[in-house]
Amino acid sequence: MAEMWINMGPQHPMTHGLWNLRIKVDGETVVDAEPEIGYLHRGYEKIMEVREFQKNVVLTDRLCYVSSITWSHCYCLACEAVMDVEPPPRAEYLRVITNELQRLASHLMWLAAYGPDLGLLTALLWALRERELFLDLLQLITGARMNQNFPRIGGVRNDAPHDFDKYCRKVIAHFRKKLGEHEKLFEQSKLFQMRTLGVGSISRKDAIDWGVTGPNLRACGAAIDLRKLDPYDAYPEIDFEPAVEHDGDSYSRYKVRVEEMKTSCSIIEQALAKMPDGPYRVKPPRRAEGEAFRRTEDSRGEALFYVIGDGDDRPYRVKIRSPVFSNIFAAPLMLRGNKVADVVAIMGSIDVCVGEMDK
Amino acid sequence: MAVTVDGELVAFLVLSAIEVLAALMVVVSKKLVHSVFWLFITLLTIGAIYLLFRTEFIAFIQIIVYAGAVPVLMLFGIMLTRRKIMEEPHEPE
Amino acid sequence: MSGHLIDLLGWSEAIAGFLLWLLSLPLALGNWIALQVGAPSPGPLTGVIGWVTGPDLVSFLGVIIAINLLLLWATAFHLLIIMWIERKMYSRLQDRRGIMIGLGSSEILRRILGPIPLLGRPFRRPSHLGTGFLQTVADGVKLFQKEVITPAKADRWMFHVAPVVIAASTLMLFVAIPWSDGFWIMGSYETHFINGTPQSVPVNPWGILVILAAFGIAPLAILIAGWASNNKYSLLGGMRAAAQLMAYEIPLVLSLIAVVVLSGTLDPFEFVRDQSRPLTIGGLTVPFLPNWYIFHPALVIAFVVFFITIIAEAERIPFDIPEAEAELVEGWTTEYSGMRFGIVFGFKWLRALAGAALIVIMFFGGWDGPVFTTLQVPNLATLGAGTVPLPVLFQEFWFTVKIYVVFIVFVWIGWSVPRIRIDQILNIGWRRLVPLSLLAILIAALAGGLNWL
Repeated sequence: MAEMWINMGPQHPMTHGLWNLRIKVDGETVVDAEPEIGYLHRGYEKIMEVREFQKNVVLTDRLCYVSSITWSHCYCLACEAVMDVEPPPRAEYLRVITNELQRLASHLMWLAAYGPDLGLLTALLWALRERELFLDLLQLITGARMNQNFPRIGGVRNDAPHDFDKYCRKVIAHFRKKLGEHEKLFEQSKLFQMRTLGVGSISRKDAIDWGVTGPNLRACGAAIDLRKLDPYDAYPEIDFEPAVEHDGDSYSRYKVRVEEMKTSCSIIEQALAKMPDGPYRVKPPRRAEGEAFRRTEDSRGEALFYVIGDGDDRPYRVKIRSPVFSNIFAAPLMLRGNKVADVVAIMGSIDVCVGEMDK
Repeated sequence: MAVTVDGELVAFLVLSAIEVLAALMVVVSKKLVHSVFWLFITLLTIGAIYLLFRTEFIAFIQIIVYAGAVPVLMLFGIMLTRRKIMEEPHEPE
Repeated sequence: MSGHLIDLLGWSEAIAGFLLWLLSLPLALGNWIALQVGAPSPGPLTGVIGWVTGPDLVSFLGVIIAINLLLLWATAFHLLIIMWIERKMYSRLQDRRGIMIGLGSSEILRRILGPIPLLGRPFRRPSHLGTGFLQTVADGVKLFQKEVITPAKADRWMFHVAPVVIAASTLMLFVAIPWSDGFWIMGSYETHFINGTPQSVPVNPWGILVILAAFGIAPLAILIAGWASNNKYSLLGGMRAAAQLMAYEIPLVLSLIAVVVLSGTLDPFEFVRDQSRPLTIGGLTVPFLPNWYIFHPALVIAFVVFFITIIAEAERIPFDIPEAEAELVEGWTTEYSGMRFGIVFGFKWLRALAGAALIVIMFFGGWDGPVFTTLQVPNLATLGAGTVPLPVLFQEFWFTVKIYVVFIVFVWIGWSVPRIRIDQILNIGWRRLVPLSLLAILIAALAGGLNWL
């Protein structure tokens, strides 16, 4: 059969979200690929110019709706840098805890989507069952399960309930056991290894050249984790090792995320132990002048907000750098040479969240 | 020579008629895939006629080998060698 | 080994005889009128009446009615139950509470078993009514009332014919598989000597060949269905499905041959009869175990290969790449809607069921099972005059139970593992299963030749 371009999307069960992947197939092998994005473009950067600084947190939550707190947190850090505001220590720890809880929820959502992509439909139910625990914890502390509107410029919206750490520890102990079960479901299956080992490899040099960050980069052997490299909030006081694998294929990306889930559990436990008492917020000024950027380790990679204020109470310009935007355009490198059936396994392992990609 | 009109004769006539008709359609069909389908019908009815001769083994082997495998072989051959197997929706005809 | 409940051909012939007798009544009336009017006796229509009620037409119509009854039984009974079993089984695997609640909550069970002091406790807790059985019926009704759309540029003739061929080949499977000593269509009665006494037993000298032929026709129909949909994805799915089914036919046939080598016959009835005697390995009789081929060490490889190929032929996970949702939406069935899709979908399940039935016949003794006793019930044929022995736990029951157990293992495997890529499927089929099945034939031949059985 001759080479032909196949459209996977924009309406396709594989593409979690609204984007189009055009792949050029020669028989059963993928020769080239072209992602077409922008179907979910909502004009965020423009909208943020007409709203006050604090009100934009509601918007940044919805950038990546699966991992909302991490995005709003990055934006608040950038605004605090512009306004020259220091959040109190308790707020920093609360931010770290909620970030890691959100990261766990996001990785579990990824796992719940990745299993059915490969045909393992049971993983959907199991991963979502564990995710419910974390959504309950987030609801306990922030009041909502998703799009929580929790980080504030200068701190967080409210303090944790007094018995929060008891529930948190209980959930994390339970989750550690269950994560072992999930690992067994995936890794002890020879078929899963057949589907993901050696599939969708990208070399470390290519990944760095194309701007891939996050678990996708750590799976290629580069130990780049912004929580360690360029720490923010309470991360300097917490002791953890970023998860690194060396093969750069889908199996490594899966393994890195599972290890990250375990790391997040230990981060949360350490933060709970070390959290000081005190205020949870300082009031920032209304107006801001200046420019600054901050980057954080989002669930999917390096998120960067560049905020310019011109003395008004609304930002002059907000620039958002989304990790998925770069990861997606490195996808053709991972796809070349693999079969059509592997496209799903590879794109699933990259963890695409269209909201943050299209902004 | 006395020919008894019983069910066997009727079955033989019906099956032969179908087979000859299908063989004709193999040659006459405009589309290649239709020819392959009529070939399948031909081979199937030949197998059924073998049943009338009480050679069941040959009948079922005919169905397994011929009717089950040869048309699929032809279809794969067609599909893997022709460029334009069906109308592309965005190409003008 | 008596103990079957349903005598399909006998009953169908009785029904056919009755219907033809009904049909002959107006003819007899016309004959009588003609006689009154003055025609010579015995009347002009006597020959016609004789032919209508004669044995040829009765047996012909009997077979047609038997096929219809079999199809009705397969879809109205088996299809509903296996879809229900699959739903409950995979929901339990996925730890879903809602769908499992209905199981223990039948109102009848609650009223009967609830009042028992200790053991009735599980039936007294509050729960939903119903077992969820009618969900499958509702799904069928939903499919009926959907609009049946034919794509504009699809090849209309092929598009309509492909599901028919799929259904026909699956029906051929059902006709060829016997479901008990009396519930069969393809076969005839012969007198065999069992334990020295002549008995009339059913035989079907070519049963296994017919089953293999039916499995062999399916890839063509699927390929045509995929091509005729005028959809690139369906075409890809159809080609993959045909490649997979054809690749796995060879290990299917070869592993069957391993069993055939040991048993020496292609007759499914003979398989079951052979597996009903007590187990002897190497001359020693093992007590309590029947001679099921699963217990023969020489047939282990054949069993494993056959099991895997049946899962692949039925296109279940892990071999369901041709209709993998995440990649090709529905694969080769994408453009089929309404009951046309219902036919294709339902007959895919029935093929899995037929595959499970084949496994049970070949390895698990078919309908062999302890028939505990027989009750003497009044004979309905002679209007209650004599009594007829009614077996308790009859053969159809054992066969059905075993089929469902095998099917539950299919479901268990299917919902625990990911699906494999098409080239890996073909790899496994050609490079691993074919040599293994050849090895199985070798082992079986050695075992048979050296009388290791």
